Amino acid sequence: MRSLSFFFVFLLSLFPILCFSFNPESPTDRRVLVLLDDFSLKSSHSIFFNSLKSRGLNLDFKLSDDPSLSLQRYGQYLYDALIIFSPSTEKFGGSLDLAAVIDFVDSGHDLILAADSTASDLIKNIATECGVDFDEDSSAMVIDHKSYAISGTEGEHTLIVSDDFIQSDAILGETKIEAPVLFKGIAHSVNAANSLVLKVLSASPSAYSANPESKLLSPPLLTGSAISLVSVVQARNNARIMITGSLDLFSNRLLRTAVQKSGSQDKYDKSGNELFVTEISKWVFHERGHLKAVNLRHLRVGETDEPAMYRIKDDLKFSVEIYEWSGKSWEPYVADDVQVQFYMMSPYVLKTLSTNGKGLYHASFKVPDVYGVFQFKVDYHRLGYASLSLSKQIPVRPFRHNEYERFITTAFPYYGASFTMMAGFFIFSILFLYNK
Amino acid sequence: MARSLAGFLVLLLVISICEAASLFQPISDSHRSAALELFTLDHGSFKSLEETYEALRTFQILGIEKKPDVTSAACRSISETVGSSSSTPKDLFYALKANSIAQCKIHEKASKGIISSLNAAVSGASSLLDFYYSVGGLVLIKDQSSNADIHLADAEGVFRSVKAFSQSDGRWRYSSNNPESSAFAAGIALETLAGIVSLASSELDQSLISTLRNDVSKLFDSIEKYDDGTLYFDDKLVDGREYQGPLSTTSSVLRGLTAFAAVTTGNINLPGDKILGLAKFFLGIGVPGDAKDFFYQIDALACLESNRVSIPLILSLSSAVISVTKKDSLKVRVTTVLGSNAPPLTVKLVGAFSSGSKDASLVESQELKFDQGSGLHILNDLPESIDVGSYTFVFEVVLQEPEDEKVYVTGSQTKAPIFVTGLIKIENSEIAVLDSDLGSVESQNKLDLAGKNAVSLSANHLQKLRLSFQLSTPRGRAFKPHQTFLKLRHESKVEHIFVVGNSGKKFEVVLNFLGLVEKFYYLSGKYDMELTVGDAAMENSLLVAIGHIELDLPEAPEKAPRPPLQPVDPYSRYGPKAEITHIFRAPEKRPPQELSLAFLGLTILPLLGFLIGLLRLGVNMKNFPTKPVPATFAILFHVGIGAVLLLYMFFWLKLDLFQTLKVVSLLGVFLVFVGHRTLSHLAAASAKLKSA
Repeated sequence: MRSLSFFFVFLLSLFPILCFSFNPESPTDRRVLVLLDDFSLKSSHSIFFNSLKSRGLNLDFKLSDDPSLSLQRYGQYLYDALIIFSPSTEKFGGSLDLAAVIDFVDSGHDLILAADSTASDLIKNIATECGVDFDEDSSAMVIDHKSYAISGTEGEHTLIVSDDFIQSDAILGETKIEAPVLFKGIAHSVNAANSLVLKVLSASPSAYSANPESKLLSPPLLTGSAISLVSVVQARNNARIMITGSLDLFSNRLLRTAVQKSGSQDKYDKSGNELFVTEISKWVFHERGHLKAVNLRHLRVGETDEPAMYRIKDDLKFSVEIYEWSGKSWEPYVADDVQVQFYMMSPYVLKTLSTNGKGLYHASFKVPDVYGVFQFKVDYHRLGYASLSLSKQIPVRPFRHNEYERFITTAFPYYGASFTMMAGFFIFSILFLYNK
Repeated sequence: MARSLAGFLVLLLVISICEAASLFQPISDSHRSAALELFTLDHGSFKSLEETYEALRTFQILGIEKKPDVTSAACRSISETVGSSSSTPKDLFYALKANSIAQCKIHEKASKGIISSLNAAVSGASSLLDFYYSVGGLVLIKDQSSNADIHLADAEGVFRSVKAFSQSDGRWRYSSNNPESSAFAAGIALETLAGIVSLASSELDQSLISTLRNDVSKLFDSIEKYDDGTLYFDDKLVDGREYQGPLSTTSSVLRGLTAFAAVTTGNINLPGDKILGLAKFFLGIGVPGDAKDFFYQIDALACLESNRVSIPLILSLSSAVISVTKKDSLKVRVTTVLGSNAPPLTVKLVGAFSSGSKDASLVESQELKFDQGSGLHILNDLPESIDVGSYTFVFEVVLQEPEDEKVYVTGSQTKAPIFVTGLIKIENSEIAVLDSDLGSVESQNKLDLAGKNAVSLSANHLQKLRLSFQLSTPRGRAFKPHQTFLKLRHESKVEHIFVVGNSGKKFEVVLNFLGLVEKFYYLSGKYDMELTVGDAAMENSLLVAIGHIELDLPEAPEKAPRPPLQPVDPYSRYGPKAEITHIFRAPEKRPPQELSLAFLGLTILPLLGFLIGLLRLGVNMKNFPTKPVPATFAILFHVGIGAVLLLYMFFWLKLDLFQTLKVVSLLGVFLVFVGHRTLSHLAAASAKLKSA
């Protein structure tokens, strides 16, 4: 009896873990590991952390050199996402290292990485693995003498403002970020060979990355709009990564600072940082821009059952339902650029689907007059959205012998000749036998 | 500890960079708005009495008027706690603390009950925290009810038993069986002892007080220090359970020190620098995002503001950026940590150093003018020797009344980083293409760097490009900005950046294309030119497009380096693809239907000709058998032939080969039989005719 009740208690204790673990039906992350250099960051960045907590995320704060640090146990990941706010860490504690972080992302988990001017090689290497290269000069900061924040205490123009956002409602939400974002930190550039990295916040053309204290003798490595302040990666497995060179970007201080851009009369009581980090964290934690496609269906026009095979030149109707995860439920996804391909080695038909506004996308077209094994393919890649890639195989056969046209007018003279010939033969056979 | 220390250092460094080196701002409105955000109500009240006290105390210190109204809810839970007999001294302590601000009415009977239970708790206390809560509770009751006559029976005995927890280094233990000493406990102990002193019915032994004074100065010897002069207390992290962190530890020590200084008459001898260092520590934290940290910071600053040891004065600048062109004046404010006005004093500018150089001071020592209305110390005109650039100014604060020097501490000298900015004059800017060997100017263009330019040049690899301009400060001196870049951008977005060097006022860059062809990846074509001149001290930093240059470079040799990959525009990468529709094979061409039908008509003509020919020949049926049996067979034979032909017809119309063959095989047998009978009859008839 006691062992039974013990078992029951054990099951109960497992219950929250089972409930909160990641599942494809509700893709929002639940368990987040936050790595800090120091616990005082909890207090200095509390507004950001509180906004995450209020959205239902379980934050587990650990020091980055905690010897018990581990991302997985018994082959199961303990967390859905990782926030690395420990720029100066040279070596993680426990079993965590560069490879473990990369494996974590490779298995579809999310990552927020913030560095600053103290960024260690470890942090820079993680960023490099994700397709983002921080400035190699460790004393360099982003300086902008044209778009800096006017402030009474700061004269070095390293507290810069930027409002060069990526144009994507999926990443930054539908609310327009009015106030510019304050940034103080180091520059990075996105790897041109990596097509998955996106610059979300770029520096202005007059920015450059250099040490503000020393004179510049050689041109800086990173200048102008090539400097990315905040970048995101959406991996092919829909793992999402956000990388920035400024830990201060998330700090209460910058979230609450009034901001005025140099050379501009617009004053804002609050910088755009709060909205920016909230919205982008929603994207990173799959509260937005996560799509699923279900009920891929195709029919011959006029029929109700899905055929196992099409004949060339059949008319068919194709439909698929696409939903977007809103953080709580699956909402219909509305767009006008979803396309279907009828594909064999290369697309034979590529058609934009029309939608009913409730998540259903459909199109109808004629099967090409080429037979073989085709696929219906929906490859949907949109800026900021999880990519959809689904396909369904379907064979296409040629006409059967009795499906060709039977009475061709052009052939009537031949038929006529045969039949008159036959009639002649019939008459001749009678007359030949009985004529006298 | 090292870990958290390092972390805190990082945080402080970050803050100190932002707050401009070693200058600290007093508490301002950002703290007030943060307080309202941090202390938020949960269903109309705070979660615990401790939190209620912290919130109320913070609002009180910051003087926040528009605070949430919690008095009634707080009073209810205070009277519940006070009235309940099961309340621990800790509960009572926080209830009374909250009440000290909320000012609720406590029932006379309840208050008597608490006094006796707290008195019992004091006598039964065994650990430092027990003493702290019970003594603290009694002190609070004494303060709140004027008529209550509360005394500790054996004040000296209690004092000694608390003192027993002290250690030789000035730190204290939590209990006698816990060997760990901590500075946090020292703060608590000081506060408790101060309470005991105020509760004592008679004067305590002065030797006890003086040993305590020694403990305090020993405690301050163990103070820890950051590079920027801020001081703090921290405990060694042993098991982490009782570890508090530097903020709460330092706050606790300050609270204890203030309470202790308030009840003793003598002077506690502490260097003013240490108090100032502690003040800088709390101000350097900025605005904590945690309600508890926030309370610790504000409470400690309030202790600093009102303590009897020495009150720190903080020098702050209204703006560290001063424009020469706009004739900004240097404004300095001296306040207490919470931002209230300082006593009469004078501020002197004793030195100004160009940052990065260790030269002698650029200015004479001079006094700043005090403006009564705004409370600012102002230096209206910057000395001639101060040009645009970044400087470190050194200020000295001198109190006017010698009496004040005992109360206030100002620190000897305060260094402040100052950025002096101004409009930089740009002159003689021109761009020219030179012939390489002779250096003769081929085409020269004046530029207006403040306005728009659209220069259009062309050059080949044997020529040079020269860009030159002059920069001078408002005071007419040479100026070397941090950022002077000439950027050339090819049509394919490959960029090349050159630093424009200077000699004195003149800036010049000469691009010798012969040496640059490799760097330019042999890319001929149009290059856009862009000049960026910027500096922290330059108010008119500029980024101008100069125009473009058409470069004619030689063909790339085979092993030339390829230009680097340029990032693809993400918007173009993701758009929808062009639609594809399948082109069906065109059906074969057919003649018009009428033509086919006409030929169909033509095919009937031979049959008609045949029939007409037969009629002309005069065919007859005289040979048809006359006897009924052969006649039947003959009819069946021809019906059979007709059926076969009809079958062909059906084969054409709808039957398939197998159905046709089936019927043909039956008909065939039938035909052979009847055909044979008919033909043999006809043969017999014709043989009979021949023989006859």
